Amino acid sequence: MKGTYLGEFQEIVLLTILVLDENAYGVSIQDEISQRTGREISRGALHTALTRLDQKGFITSFYGGATTERGGRRKRYYQVTNLGRNALEEAKSIRDELWNLIPKLGLQG
Amino acid sequence: MNKHNRPPLLFQHFLSWFCHEDYFEELQGDLEEKFYERVKSKGISKARWAYRKEVVKLFRPSVFKKIQFRYSNNTNMFKNYTLVAYRNLLRNKLFSTINIIGLAISMAVGLLAITFVSEIRSYDKFHEKADRIYRVFNNRTVVGKEPQAYASTSLLTGIKLKEEATSFDIIVPIYNGFNGNVKKDQNLFKLKGQFVGEDFFKLFSFPLLYGNPETALQEPNTTVLTEEFAMKIFSRKDVVGEVLEWGPYQFTITGVMQQPPGTSHIKFDAVASLKTYEIREDRSRLFNDWSVMWTSYVYVHLNTNASLEQAQADLDRLAEKENAKTEFQQINPGLEALTDIFPGDGKYNQIDTVMPKKNIDQIVILALIVLFSACFNYANLSVARSMKRAKEVGIRKVVGAKKASLFVQFISESIFVSLLALFIAFLLFKLIKPEFISLNLYTERTTTLNLTATNYLYFILFAVLIGVVSGVIPALLMTKLKTVNVLKGISGTRSHKGLNIRKVMIGLQFAFSMTFAILVILIQKQYHQALNFDLGYNTEDVVNITLSGKDTKLLQAEIAKVPGVKTISTSYFVNSTGVLNSDWAKIEENSDSVTIYNNWVNTDYLDNMGHQLLAGVNFDKDGPSDQMIVNEKLIEKYDLKSATEAVGKRVYFYDKYWTIVGVVKDFHYGTVYNELNPFAYLYDTSKEMYYMNVKIETSDILKTMAGMERAWKTVNPKNKFEAEYYSDSIKRMYTDLSSSMKTFGMLAIVAISISVLGLLGMAVFTAESRIKELTIRKVLGANVLNLLTLLSKSFLVIFIIAVVISIPISLQLFKSQIASNIEYQIQIGFWELSSGALLVLIIAFFTIGSQSIKAAKTNPAESLRND
Repeated sequence: MKGTYLGEFQEIVLLTILVLDENAYGVSIQDEISQRTGREISRGALHTALTRLDQKGFITSFYGGATTERGGRRKRYYQVTNLGRNALEEAKSIRDELWNLIPKLGLQG
Repeated sequence: MNKHNRPPLLFQHFLSWFCHEDYFEELQGDLEEKFYERVKSKGISKARWAYRKEVVKLFRPSVFKKIQFRYSNNTNMFKNYTLVAYRNLLRNKLFSTINIIGLAISMAVGLLAITFVSEIRSYDKFHEKADRIYRVFNNRTVVGKEPQAYASTSLLTGIKLKEEATSFDIIVPIYNGFNGNVKKDQNLFKLKGQFVGEDFFKLFSFPLLYGNPETALQEPNTTVLTEEFAMKIFSRKDVVGEVLEWGPYQFTITGVMQQPPGTSHIKFDAVASLKTYEIREDRSRLFNDWSVMWTSYVYVHLNTNASLEQAQADLDRLAEKENAKTEFQQINPGLEALTDIFPGDGKYNQIDTVMPKKNIDQIVILALIVLFSACFNYANLSVARSMKRAKEVGIRKVVGAKKASLFVQFISESIFVSLLALFIAFLLFKLIKPEFISLNLYTERTTTLNLTATNYLYFILFAVLIGVVSGVIPALLMTKLKTVNVLKGISGTRSHKGLNIRKVMIGLQFAFSMTFAILVILIQKQYHQALNFDLGYNTEDVVNITLSGKDTKLLQAEIAKVPGVKTISTSYFVNSTGVLNSDWAKIEENSDSVTIYNNWVNTDYLDNMGHQLLAGVNFDKDGPSDQMIVNEKLIEKYDLKSATEAVGKRVYFYDKYWTIVGVVKDFHYGTVYNELNPFAYLYDTSKEMYYMNVKIETSDILKTMAGMERAWKTVNPKNKFEAEYYSDSIKRMYTDLSSSMKTFGMLAIVAISISVLGLLGMAVFTAESRIKELTIRKVLGANVLNLLTLLSKSFLVIFIIAVVISIPISLQLFKSQIASNIEYQIQIGFWELSSGALLVLIIAFFTIGSQSIKAAKTNPAESLRND
């Protein structure tokens, strides 16, 4: 499934968009990720991830209204599509399955 | 809000420059929001740094603008460009003509070079197995001499390799000697061909139309003809089974091959089986002597799993064994790839004429020089004229043309011009093609300059390339023009100051032109000297008839009867035409041996040729066949006191003793390439004579010639009458000189015309742009001469530098390249060197002069009233 492969960073971005729900736009996603993971990500890296996700059809976006706080420029809000949700769930189920397969010994150790 | 509260301006611009507009609003908004957030939490300076960092990190392909020309009216614009280009050509007819003609002349040379190089490079590439076919060549070292490389090798090499070597799966020996005439029903057909091994068709890709390629050459006395040769003899192609006579032998035709391409380094009308020769006893040395390597060749095909090193090791083993048998020479065979044979690196004894690599490099370099000159002219003139186009550029910019589109416009304009030039160049190419082919022996024998589809493609690509190269500088300059300045009428070009690239280039062009011109004059003088060299005897009005070896006495009697024939003599070969014969000789009491050059003649020869006897007597007709007449150099060599002392001495020469009966004054038996050495005329009635020297004294030369031909026919009805004036034979000797005279002559014409065209353009431009200054000067009293000096002053320095550069270069070229092996070189004085340069200078000053006179003669009112 080459086309729908979900990279680690892309998965985090998708999850973050879901967490932020109605308020997922560039800066908020950036902030949320750096808060949760403790790592500073650049807007450029985020842009690349968002473009990829968009190309795969995992997210859609729309422009919000203009606000004064950013020099009158509109925000672009992101939403996860059903395809995106499926991909996330699939990734999770593969992980769960793998976790279950790990022998108990290994877990204890 | 002061400016330091804002994100860094430079980086905002940077972002807007590279960022795709679909993302720009979002990204810029995000960055700004983040910036103000950071200002609050971390302070202004950290926030600004973070902003810069973010922008740099956004510099990635997914954010970039799509690179494209964003005008939707593409075709319309190109239509407009073509129209404007066309109008421009028409408006400046003089400049357009200069540009197009200049480009066309040099492009014709370029087309020649392209066709020539692509033809030469295609040699032998048609063989399917070409990449694994090699030719065995010999490096022969005679003890005490430098090793020499020969393309030929002994047939024994082929036989031994077949027996002992493991690296080759196909071995084809070739003996170059299936020449002469073949006979069919009493008709003779001239033939050129080779005896080849039976695997010939397995190795080389010469497909057979009729016959079996595998068995065709297995039997003795079998031959395979080419399509054309079969048509020539039989007027049909299906001739398998027919019989041809070659000398005393009968050959059965076992196949007819498709006409081989002209690009094969082995050329033939027919090939015959080498088996034919193997069974002839008198030729056995040909097959079992390692040192008989002069006209035989061996081609091999390397095994798929054998390396070149292994193959060479096989050859080395063989050489070691064979070289042990002889002391005076070492022969070391090597392998040379089939595709490396043509063009060649100068090996001796090639199977057919091979173009030396040197020739090709020369032609390419010369073509590049000429092309470069012409491209520069175009660029130079366009830049010079750019002011006139500046307004157009300004308007286009105002209307919204981008730099890229202006660039495209000017480049496409120069491509348009060069395509026009290509058309003329093609006509010129057709015109000079035959001249080029007859340039020298090599081009005559190996090139056809036939055009293929690929050639046409190359031509067009070439024209586009030339267009781009010549257009790029003017295009860049035009796009750089500042709109405001242009529309205000301020010109941005500084063309009159200092040593700029333009002057250097004009200087270079003239240096090239002068070098070629001087070379032509030097070579012409050398050629002239060679032809009119005082040989020391008289060749005037002498016609040499090639004898066929039969009934010489009878023929002489017949020819003597022809009116206009004065005296007749016979000789073994014709002196002073490059043929030399020599052997070691010893005078009885002197133990040193000396090389003596010689010729065999009859008793009438010395008188007929006007040789001057210094001592002794002429040959005695009834005397013994051991009489010898020598030259002064021989006397010197043996330290004899006088010519008379030499008479009566006996000389051991050609395995017998000869008696000196006379001494002649030194004369040039060789060419200007040879120095004078001891020489002897020999009288030997048993020696067959090959030439009849007929001295003619007549007012009607045609009648005498026809009379001689009739006389020939009565004695010798079957053979052709071949006669040539002595002076023509000598002329033929110097084709080398005359062909380099032609080459450089052609180049001189091309180079001079291109540089003069360029100069004309510059002169016109200078005169035009200074027309007001000139007119005012004229009004104040300056005459034509003043104006001429004014205009040519800046060019004068350039010319002087060009002269200073070109004279030593051409002198060096002449001495090292052209006349390096000439023993009797011309005296090179002031006029020889300067006349070529002067010629170019005079043409140049005429060019400038014509313009200043034009400027001087214009009515001042004409050029001043516009203000």
